[in-house]
Amino acid sequence: MDITITEELNNTLKDNGFKEAEIKELIANAESSGQKLKARDGDISIAKGGADNLTVYAVYSPSELLDVYAHKMNIIGLTGGELNEIDYDDASNWACAKCGEIALERNVDMTYMGVTRPGPGLVCPKCNEFYVSDGVARTLKTAEAILEEKRA
Amino acid sequence: MPAKDYAPIDENWLENAGSLWTTPWVDKPSERVIVDPIILSHAASLFRKNAGYFYQNPDEAIRMVCHACELYDVTPVGHYLYADYWGQDYGAEIKIQTNSPPGITKRPIKTAEDVDNFEVLDSDELAKGPTLTTHYKALDTCKEEFPHMFAPITQLGGTMEVATNWAAIEDVFMWMITEPEVVDKLCQKAGDHMVSACKATSERYGANVMITGSVIASGDLMDTEQIKRFSFQPVSRAVRKVLNAGAGPGIYYHLCGNHTDDYQMWKNAPMSPFTIVQIGYDGQNIFPTTKLVEAFGDRCTCFGTVDTKLIDRGTPAQVYEQAKEQVIAGKDSPRGFILGTACECPTNAPPVNVHALVKAAKDHGKYEKF
Ligand SMILES: [Zn+2]
Repeated sequence: MDITITEELNNTLKDNGFKEAEIKELIANAESSGQKLKARDGDISIAKGGADNLTVYAVYSPSELLDVYAHKMNIIGLTGGELNEIDYDDASNWACAKCGEIALERNVDMTYMGVTRPGPGLVCPKCNEFYVSDGVARTLKTAEAILEEKRA
Repeated sequence: MPAKDYAPIDENWLENAGSLWTTPWVDKPSERVIVDPIILSHAASLFRKNAGYFYQNPDEAIRMVCHACELYDVTPVGHYLYADYWGQDYGAEIKIQTNSPPGITKRPIKTAEDVDNFEVLDSDELAKGPTLTTHYKALDTCKEEFPHMFAPITQLGGTMEVATNWAAIEDVFMWMITEPEVVDKLCQKAGDHMVSACKATSERYGANVMITGSVIASGDLMDTEQIKRFSFQPVSRAVRKVLNAGAGPGIYYHLCGNHTDDYQMWKNAPMSPFTIVQIGYDGQNIFPTTKLVEAFGDRCTCFGTVDTKLIDRGTPAQVYEQAKEQVIAGKDSPRGFILGTACECPTNAPPVNVHALVKAAKDHGKYEKF
């Protein structure tokens, strides 16, 4: 898979400390393992990688890298521990590429600096894989900054 | 009074109160539970002003609130809000009242057809509108003069509250029976409006704390299925959209009124790392903190309450007793606890009663788990 990166996005990546090679590897891993989210109505995918202290996401079409974002809060599981039926439409616009299930928008517990609290995640109910959207990553950035300030 | 007429805030107090108040979210040890009696126009009464004066002078209102926080030794947050937000932006008329918060007198939606034609404003339009201009005047004053008490709060209520600020409550309740899909549409639009309003605040201040939940949609006025359809579901959708738009991270679920039959469903409402849940009543009684902690303690910060009727008309001993019971039941809740009042502190509540509430937290709210 040959993915192009616009100069503009590449500059943003550099500004945010992401390396082009790492992002390409992250995408390559997602493509070979099949572990990624795929838009239910299009050709866009979200791959996930990184480590416990930083989860990185790459959003891409078959030809182009569209966005990269990350969060420091580490997702440890579903809030409340299990996936119960809930009373509102929690189906997201994404499906798990591996098993085909629609990813659900559910609260997931996240840990950062010794504090565990819920956050809105995208969950594959079959594979038990967790993702977050780019907007939620922005919300989490504010949350992380508050925790860094208050826990320091 | 202009800023220069107030005595300076005690910096040591502020630092201590500030660290107490963040305890619930960051698991950082502090000596005791913090108290938030949701002081709004009550602050004006301490300065011998009335509610009308409070709401006509948002910059002064925030000064009075911040100084009241110091006086009572409570959560240092510059609250400024009232229930009837979001009508004016869409053409409603509002009436300033002497002894209570502003109320809407004329609403923009009169018929079911109006609901179809009703267009939700985007965040830029709302930021320029009458509600947020007033609200931001208070918040800007807070940020400038009391930076440590600043919180970028957006007052939304739930979808039913927004809906009934747009259309008369009797019309909405009639449609709920005759044409429920009209109310679906209305609540959907209310949800979209909530997203715009939160975006406006987060664009201005870099973060946003939304006050949402369900006040009208309580067990006294609606059955559980109606609460689910017109409040829980559209509110959940709106909160999810707010978080997905990056306009978090604070979520304060204020479930006013009686929620005996529906409180369990809110366990699955979307949450962020800074979520508070407060429930007013269990039938006719104040909602017991034990029950609150049982349902929400492993998810978010629990806001245990003392009956506002008691704060308004009870004796200090009665307030103290109820506060003591609630704080003992809640202080070691796994994700933090706040002691407060079931709703806004009544404008003319006796100051000794607010003091009794705080005293109970000081006497019985010491953390034992830290
Ligand atoms: Zn899967």
